[in-house]
Amino acid sequence: ASLMSSNGLGGGPGEATRVLQLLNMVSEEELQDDEEYEDICEDVKEECRKYAPVISIKVPRPSKEHRVPGVGKIFVEFETAEGCAAAARALGGRKFASRTVVVSYYSEAKYTDAVLE
Amino acid sequence: DDSERKRRRKSRWGDEDSKVFLPGMPTALPPNLTPAEQELFIIQLRLEEVNRKLRTGEVVPPEHERSPSPPPIYDRDGSRLNSREKRYRLKLEDERQKLVDEVTRRDPSYRPPMDYRKPTKYKE
Repeated sequence: ASLMSSNGLGGGPGEATRVLQLLNMVSEEELQDDEEYEDICEDVKEECRKYAPVISIKVPRPSKEHRVPGVGKIFVEFETAEGCAAAARALGGRKFASRTVVVSYYSEAKYTDAVLE
Repeated sequence: DDSERKRRRKSRWGDEDSKVFLPGMPTALPPNLTPAEQELFIIQLRLEEVNRKLRTGEVVPPEHERSPSPPPIYDRDGSRLNSREKRYRLKLEDERQKLVDEVTRRDPSYRPPMDYRKPTKYKE
């Protein structure tokens, strides 16, 4: 509860952008496995498309050489902010392989610049 | 082959009408959190999930999410040491350990849950 009050997590999702961050979806272990990685990307694309047209998705993978920011997070770029909002409403709180999915709108500029964090 | 794998596998997504509600834990976060704040929240959420599984005993995932079972190992009395239940419980306890360590590293004021004990070094 201290976290909630200290940084205002109860503040709601804010204004929709075209990019959605999906959190608490995958472990590093799953991302390392090529087959699982492909399956995860496919599952996410298929599900997101049900709610709105998707332009691209980015799923950072861990590297042995250096620390990769954004590992464990999934980024989905939608055609419109309305579409992104529809997907956010539909996917927040859903289960993904026995984990609870958390959503957050992400900066379009950062996504375009490949800054995934 | 690839097409066959696609037909056989099941999506990881849960049912559309069975959303999860964790008290005090929103599933839509405001966009103005720093990556560190956001990550700390997600680690705590996952910790809550893992604790809940260990508390309720629902440690074994549904069949389509399980990996192949290893060969059985038995103790002297013939009871199985690596039963499915035991293997998944151990896996979750291991994950909980890592999550608690991670929260403590990021937030030194954090106190682990009551039912959690830090593993003590094994003594001969």
